[in-house]
Amino acid sequence: MKRIYTILVAVITLTIISCNKETATTQTEVMNSLLTNKNWYLDYSITGTNTKSYVGQSTYFVTYLKDGSTKDSDGLMGTYTVELINNQSQIHVQVKTANGNPLEVVYNIISVGETKLILSKLTTGTPTALYFTNK
Amino acid sequence: MRSATFISKKILPLVFITSLVCSAIQAQELTTKQLDSAYLTHPFKDRVAAFKKSLSKKFINFQGNDLSLFGALSFNQQTINDKAVAAPINYLYDAVNTNSFKAGYAGGFRIDGIYNEKHRFSLSLAVNRVNAGSKYTNKYTLSPFIEDFTHYKADNQFTTLSIAAHYKKLLPINDMRKYKFYAVFGPSVDYKISQISKEHLINGVNNRVFINGDLGAEFDNKGYYILYAHYKLGANLFQSNVPMQFNRFEIGMSIKAKDLF
Repeated sequence: MKRIYTILVAVITLTIISCNKETATTQTEVMNSLLTNKNWYLDYSITGTNTKSYVGQSTYFVTYLKDGSTKDSDGLMGTYTVELINNQSQIHVQVKTANGNPLEVVYNIISVGETKLILSKLTTGTPTALYFTNK
Repeated sequence: MRSATFISKKILPLVFITSLVCSAIQAQELTTKQLDSAYLTHPFKDRVAAFKKSLSKKFINFQGNDLSLFGALSFNQQTINDKAVAAPINYLYDAVNTNSFKAGYAGGFRIDGIYNEKHRFSLSLAVNRVNAGSKYTNKYTLSPFIEDFTHYKADNQFTTLSIAAHYKKLLPINDMRKYKFYAVFGPSVDYKISQISKEHLINGVNNRVFINGDLGAEFDNKGYYILYAHYKLGANLFQSNVPMQFNRFEIGMSIKAKDLF
């Protein structure tokens, strides 16, 4: 009888400890689910102190699809991955230009949500913050 | 005088005992329904009786041990402190923050008894379907265009398995032979048994187990049923990046199992 109780306590303890722990991919999976299958319209771009507003104008947009492909309003198509590198969440985009040349762009994800997305485009100079909405 | 004493000492007790025996014999006459029932099997009743017998053997100081089933309506709210979450995710504050109590329900069974002939207690096991209002303590902004937001979104619909041990203090209200009022307090533990979303698990947050302090009142109507109102104030049992406070107000009714089956 004592053995049965011991086994029961062990099973309950294991159940409590083992269920639904966060994995390494949890954060990227959540970000992916928020990012995909929406048209993200550029509202603002900020480089240093220079702010450009595109609100109410025909503007650039980009779409990230669930199958890992991406396309934007400039006609660029390619693939993307969401990655977590050194605690920095990034979107790695690989597209082909109109000339057929491969182009890789890396964006730092500043914030992603249901309706708002802020990316920072990595360039050699001052980074540009891009503010998108999907409405 | 001697004959009067003889009547009061000998005859009256004899009459009293005879009347008692007669009434007992009267009470033993079974109705047709009871006679029919005696031939039928009562698996649940027998199981409850066997369970009670086994309990009374093991826990000699615990008396009563009445098994009851209960159902309850609950109003739930969780307060969430997501200060330690650093994931670059935004949930619009107004969309996720509902600083209110939302309705859920619970059901289970409980054992009511008396310890050492004076300490009344109840032990209960319940399944709770929680629908909780969520109050987020931290707001963030990212100019120029993201208004108030949070980095974290907690699950507000989940199911828990709850175990409670309550001490019941009989209150001297009304006629205590008929109606009993109790003040109730004690601990309870809630364990989430439903699937936890990825959004809830982010940055190592889990919050699967809550420990609660319960406080309430109960009304026992001649042993037919118990109406109760309990307030439960809970917190994470284990340390978490997102400490949560879980408040619940429960109103319910319990009926003895032997009266139901």
